Amino acid sequence: MLTFTLRRLLLAIPTLLVISLVIFLLVDLAPGSPMSEIPLTVPPETRQKMIEALGADQPVFVRYFLWLRQFFWVEPAYVIDHWFGTSWAEGEQRILSWQSRSPVFTIIGQRLPQTMIVIGTAYLVGILIALPIGIYSAYRQYSLFDQGGTLFAMIGFSVPTFFSGTLFIIIFAVWLGWFPTKYDTTLNVTDWDSFLKQIRQMALPVMTLGLANAATISRYMRSSMLDNMTQDYVRTARAKGMTERIVVLKHVLRNSLIPVVTVIALGIPSIFGGAIITENLFGVNGIGAALIGAIHASDLPMVQTLAFIFAVLIVLFNLIADILYGFLDPRIRYD
Amino acid sequence: MLDAQPQPLVQVQDLKMHFPIYSGIFRKHTGDVKAVDGVSFDILPGQTLGLVGESGCGKSTVGRAMLRLYEPTAGRVIIDGDDVAKLAPEPLRKKRPTMQMVFQDPQASLNPRMTLAEIVSEPLDEHTNWTRDQKLERVYELMDQVGLNRRFVNRFPHEFSGGQRQRIGIARALALKPRFIVCDEPIAALDVSIQAQVVNLLEDLQEKLGLTYLFISHDLSMVRHLAQRVAVMYLGRIAELSPSKDLYARPLHPYAEALLSAVNEPDPELAARRNRIILKGDVPSPANPPKGCNFCTRCPKVMDICRTVKPDLLEVEPGRLVACHLYTAAGSTGASEANERNQQGETR
Amino acid sequence: MKMRAALLGAVAVMGLAPAAFAERGTDGEVKLTFPQAVSIMNPYLTGGTKDIYASSMVLEPLVGLDPQGVMVPKLVTEIPTKENGGISEDMTSITWKLIPDLKWSDGTPVTADDAVFTWQYCTHPEGGCSQATKFEGIASVEAVDPQTIKVTFNGPKANPYTAFVSALSPVLQKKQFEACLGAAAPTCTDANNMPIGTGPFKVTGFTVNDTVSMAMNENYRDPAKPAFASAVIKGGGDAEGSARAVMETGEFDYAWNTQIPPDTQASMLAAGKGQFVVAFGTLVERIEMNMTDPSAELPEGERATAKHPHPILSDIKVRTALSMAIDRSVLVEVGYGAGGKPTCNVIPAPDDWASDNTACLTQDMEGAKKLLDEAGWTDSDGDGIRDKDGKKLHLLYQSTVNPIRQDFQALVKDWWTELGVEVELKAIDPGVFFGGDPGSPDTFQKFYADVEMYANNSDSPDPEVYLGQYQCKNAPSPETQWQGENINRFCNPDYDKLYAELGGVTDVAKRQEIAKKLNDMVTKDSMVVVPLVHRGTLSAHSNSLGGVQINAWDSEMWNVADWFRVK
Repeated sequence: MLTFTLRRLLLAIPTLLVISLVIFLLVDLAPGSPMSEIPLTVPPETRQKMIEALGADQPVFVRYFLWLRQFFWVEPAYVIDHWFGTSWAEGEQRILSWQSRSPVFTIIGQRLPQTMIVIGTAYLVGILIALPIGIYSAYRQYSLFDQGGTLFAMIGFSVPTFFSGTLFIIIFAVWLGWFPTKYDTTLNVTDWDSFLKQIRQMALPVMTLGLANAATISRYMRSSMLDNMTQDYVRTARAKGMTERIVVLKHVLRNSLIPVVTVIALGIPSIFGGAIITENLFGVNGIGAALIGAIHASDLPMVQTLAFIFAVLIVLFNLIADILYGFLDPRIRYD
Repeated sequence: MLDAQPQPLVQVQDLKMHFPIYSGIFRKHTGDVKAVDGVSFDILPGQTLGLVGESGCGKSTVGRAMLRLYEPTAGRVIIDGDDVAKLAPEPLRKKRPTMQMVFQDPQASLNPRMTLAEIVSEPLDEHTNWTRDQKLERVYELMDQVGLNRRFVNRFPHEFSGGQRQRIGIARALALKPRFIVCDEPIAALDVSIQAQVVNLLEDLQEKLGLTYLFISHDLSMVRHLAQRVAVMYLGRIAELSPSKDLYARPLHPYAEALLSAVNEPDPELAARRNRIILKGDVPSPANPPKGCNFCTRCPKVMDICRTVKPDLLEVEPGRLVACHLYTAAGSTGASEANERNQQGETR
Repeated sequence: MKMRAALLGAVAVMGLAPAAFAERGTDGEVKLTFPQAVSIMNPYLTGGTKDIYASSMVLEPLVGLDPQGVMVPKLVTEIPTKENGGISEDMTSITWKLIPDLKWSDGTPVTADDAVFTWQYCTHPEGGCSQATKFEGIASVEAVDPQTIKVTFNGPKANPYTAFVSALSPVLQKKQFEACLGAAAPTCTDANNMPIGTGPFKVTGFTVNDTVSMAMNENYRDPAKPAFASAVIKGGGDAEGSARAVMETGEFDYAWNTQIPPDTQASMLAAGKGQFVVAFGTLVERIEMNMTDPSAELPEGERATAKHPHPILSDIKVRTALSMAIDRSVLVEVGYGAGGKPTCNVIPAPDDWASDNTACLTQDMEGAKKLLDEAGWTDSDGDGIRDKDGKKLHLLYQSTVNPIRQDFQALVKDWWTELGVEVELKAIDPGVFFGGDPGSPDTFQKFYADVEMYANNSDSPDPEVYLGQYQCKNAPSPETQWQGENINRFCNPDYDKLYAELGGVTDVAKRQEIAKKLNDMVTKDSMVVVPLVHRGTLSAHSNSLGGVQINAWDSEMWNVADWFRVK
């Protein structure tokens, strides 16, 4: 297992380097200019000056190698300096966002907690809703509950978040007035009241995303349960005279969870990636909102860095999913 | 049956297992697959009943329905005094230790995520309140009985060979000291070299532990070797139920005759003389069986009555039950023949 | 029309509402929301209106502009004029006098050095300052004494009120930005995000593209202001979400730029929690006519250049007919509601600067058809499309991807089709359209289409700079890497001559007269620019927020110090 992991990690390095180049070229080739948001009242000469100040007029490969250096050397050095008080990154240029002129990693650092809390909670809530629905739907296939679960999943699949989100806003914020529509980032949870406030402001985005997540996972859970329900070993368990609870929860569920856990693990990078539409809709200042903002403003360093981090996470979680599979399923061996 | 006969351990009476067919947008109930359609037989304690037939005839369904792994549509299954077909869930669960099953596919029937020890001792967790040590001791004991090395106790099923897996399946079935075991094609998935070992093991265990078997198989020669009596099934019904020796020597039902003609005959002389009966056509769908005798569409000796009236399974010779109009329809040559043989049977 | 009247009434009422009587910091928190989040608080490093407006609560210019476009002193004692000796007789210098005892929010005194530094900061060649035009023509900025700033121009300057006027050009604190000159400007993250200013608020927390938290400035020059102890600007989402947060859920007090469809405006107004306010600057949605031939058959480098006049649009009759066929009031009704009004001018405001050109406001389809007939464009083959010399009257009409613009395109296409013009529509991503990438064929400057539609405005009430766009020399061409603001490639020596004259005229009335003439030359006289809608900025504020005076000439938060909680 260790050699397998190491081999995969080593293989990931050239893969990621190629990915980083491809992303860089793609982002660079994409139409748009960092100046597109600047009002027309700013004259062309000034625009040219601003572009030069950003370094955006440099040839693409110069910028790519500068970015590589900044990503793999300056930023880690900066972190080390920060921890140990050394001065390796002294005088080095960090990766700066063109839009805000702030270091990209500072922005990511500011935004990651919101994304993790909101999107992570939504993912968790989605899983917690999905698993029981999937399990019971499969156990009582074609029952009324199963039909209801299918309907729920279809709604979750087919209704886009910008629609369900707006619907929730109108129902729960405008009509009922229960929850706020805009996420207050400055809220510090210090006591019970502020905790309740945090829960309230998380409610709408979590509901919106949770619905979508639950829909997907519940379908996976259901079909995996159905696959296993008719297996011989389940019949064996029944023949052993095990209680129905043990048959379903121990024999069927545990085996059914293997593919579902993999799907869940593979979905985790998307938590880090945030939810572009939902975050934007509810004003959650997460990574997704940062990415879409950066794309709109053609903020190349930000887009490039975020896209690359996603690539790293996806590669990493694919590996984690594989390893997890090995742990969960004794039949799989990586040697 | 005579009073002197020992009380049968297992009595199956008119067992029916119909699987509903739903179709259309609203999943309307439009018909049934009559996998088992009125099957009756007894098994005496310590004996083996062989259940043979081609694949799809419902023999495995009989085994599963008997142990309530399916919910039977109708009929009674009395095992050791209780009607298993009607037991409530909790008493049924309590009843399970007396009746067990060995499955066809040893790979699929073992939970891939449990070790041998867990698989074998799980029923003990449920049905006894033994300590861990006691249970482990029992697992070792069972492993010895089925001929598995004790070192393998913590291995997972995929780490064993097919024959070893089937031994695990048998050990698991034996864990609760059952009286009755349904062996559902236990050797079908094994290499020929292993088959004999497993069959011998089953025989030894029967002798040692006084087990009663329902041995389901399509391997007629293996059944001949193991079973005292054999039931031949065709399309959800029993065509003939006879003592093993009689059946193999002289099958009565045309279907049994055809089936047995396919068995390898070790004696080359006999083999040369025997003419194999090749049945024509396909087995009808169990969802839509023929109106009369189920076999009438393929029977070489078919008569008019066969197409309209379903023959009942009747004792045409002592100990031999056949469902065929050849032996029951009054005035037919078949009937006289049957009588003749009946007399022979009595004189023996 | 009814709603617009109501809105205008509301503006008036708010304007007349009594100013805050409260003491400083007694009204709690004021919450603002912007559909685009604030990226940076330094207006010199951004062109984004959102950033400039947010920073205007903290950083202040020497003088601001009121809703009528009139200058109001902020950090100076009075507006310098020739009369009071603040402007030299030869118009080559202007002298500002700072209010005595003025303090930055950190308690240190504001001196003339800060203004001098601000000039250096924005004019540094490597700084990439977005407001460099404000400092154009300035030879030097000196501190005569700590209270006196003298700005000397390269020559006589007709409009000396550019540097340090309005939220676009505030004064920075020298101490804070000293190390941020030139290439170092973007690296001063802390200073750029949390600048120290003289405004009513100071930044206490800044999360990029999300939230700006502010607290009242204890050192603000008016001890009774601001009424609010703190302020927060939450960004992100969309115009509708922002409007809803004020008008329907009441979570926020003020939402900037809530440009939403008229029917949505009406339903939100019905919730009774707030009201929309609209400010009309000079933003005009217009159709620009291409005076050069954009045909793809021409070689690259000659395509859409002055070498090849446009085969159809070079004829003023065609241009006039196209304008006449448009019903501008329908466009307003469909697209903007209270947020727009029909116009025929490039300079629609302020009133004193706007021409009385209203001829285009009534649609005249028959007249337009007649004009085309006269121009020789007739439907000779009866297919419904006019032609001339075997050439179809076909126009490619491009704009950016934007729901309102697509509605406009569809409406205009209908009218032009009725006229017998074959119209092909094209919508381009705004990032590309306005991106100015010389390699892209789809930028508005390259103008590889016959007509295109977008909006533009003057960033000051005096439109001199804005009108300069239409000089011959400003036409984008391959030689200028397709940069330049004369999008139409309009070239009229008379215009250039008159524009040159404008630079030398200092009398305001005379300037206004010239500006109107220049406006007419590109609009009604030549029909090169076809103005459609005079667009306002629609914002929303809750009924509990008092003191709002929406302003199109300066930041909408120009008088945030006077805002108060209605009790």
